[in-house]
Amino acid sequence: MNLKDPESMNVVIGKVLRYGVVLSGIIVILGTIVLVASNGTSETSGFLEYNPVAVPHDGIDVSPAGLLHGLFTFSAFSLIELGVIVLIATPVARVLISVFLFAAERDRIYVVITAVVLALLLFSIFVTPSIPGFQA
Amino acid sequence: MFFVSIFAGIFGSVVGLGGGVVVIPVLTILLGVDIHFAIGASIVAIIGTSSGAASTYVKDKVTNLRVGMFLELASASGAIIGAAVAAYTQSAALEAIFGTILLISLVPMVIKIGEDIPKSPELGGISKRLSLKGKYTETDGRVIDYNSTRPVEGLAGTLVAGVLSGLLGIGGGAFKVLSMDLAMKLPMKVSTTTSNFMIGVTAAASAGIYFARGDVDPLIAAPVALGILIGAAVGARILLRSRNTTVRKAFAAVLAIAALEMILSAAGVIP
Repeated sequence: MNLKDPESMNVVIGKVLRYGVVLSGIIVILGTIVLVASNGTSETSGFLEYNPVAVPHDGIDVSPAGLLHGLFTFSAFSLIELGVIVLIATPVARVLISVFLFAAERDRIYVVITAVVLALLLFSIFVTPSIPGFQA
Repeated sequence: MFFVSIFAGIFGSVVGLGGGVVVIPVLTILLGVDIHFAIGASIVAIIGTSSGAASTYVKDKVTNLRVGMFLELASASGAIIGAAVAAYTQSAALEAIFGTILLISLVPMVIKIGEDIPKSPELGGISKRLSLKGKYTETDGRVIDYNSTRPVEGLAGTLVAGVLSGLLGIGGGAFKVLSMDLAMKLPMKVSTTTSNFMIGVTAAASAGIYFARGDVDPLIAAPVALGILIGAAVGARILLRSRNTTVRKAFAAVLAIAALEMILSAAGVIP
């Protein structure tokens, strides 16, 4: 693939988005299978109608350590959370790769624009949740 | 939940909003889900709709990548500002204001309802320097060459969209489409697909906060994510075959619903 060809930019970005979405979907399906297998279908009918008390899922540890532990123990909730994280990461990856694609096109203004967007995005995802007073 | 999400994905991907407009009221009103978890699910829905449909739109070159990246400067900054000021604002008052703005913006939408392709403006100033123009192939084989205008107004409108997403978790898509359509004079399909392309980034910017607070409930996120991805894939195919006028009508209808939702929520009728 010739990265200097502006046409290929659409192809690459389209592929990044598609792979991210498919990967996320597979992980969520896997998590759902584990969930149904370990709880039975009657208790997981939340898929069609929400029933928060059917499956106890309060206080899920969303910290990196908690998530990692959950993945090692093959926890359904941790798998689903991982799928959601992959989904959230997909647009971030798209912006990151765009920086390089514009660089390959030698389009300086857009390298700067996308790099600033990436910085804002990372700041917003990783820094703002830990600033007191930043609540949505 | 799964089926509602498929529907939301189809709708969201065609009109360039995230599908939160559908997901939030259905989850809160019909299924009795707490508003915090509903917004968490809506963030998942928005990102899913965006990435799921954008992969098709981008490949078919309807989405304008440069316009998208340029406006993301404003929407991402807006999302951070929104999160920063959220603690000091009354969400009911905000919803009333933004709901009214959306309702007012229905007027130019309805006036332009029969418009297929806008008369392409002269490319100048910032738009020229940033090459905010493009071309795509219509369903009937016409190659549409278009320019854009008033980038500063577009940026301002998108900033509002970003602030709104950061504050309320919803409503960003409507302002993005309006900015590109009314200010920048882009063809309707380019506006909705480019909005669709951008909302994933805006939602991802807000996702950190919701995720850290545990508002993304896996029991809700799983069916919503899977449903929305299927819906977005279907919706993307529908949009590419639709006429600009049809997309505009669908957008106007959803705009009316979104405005009504915000106003009803401000009045305390719905959560």
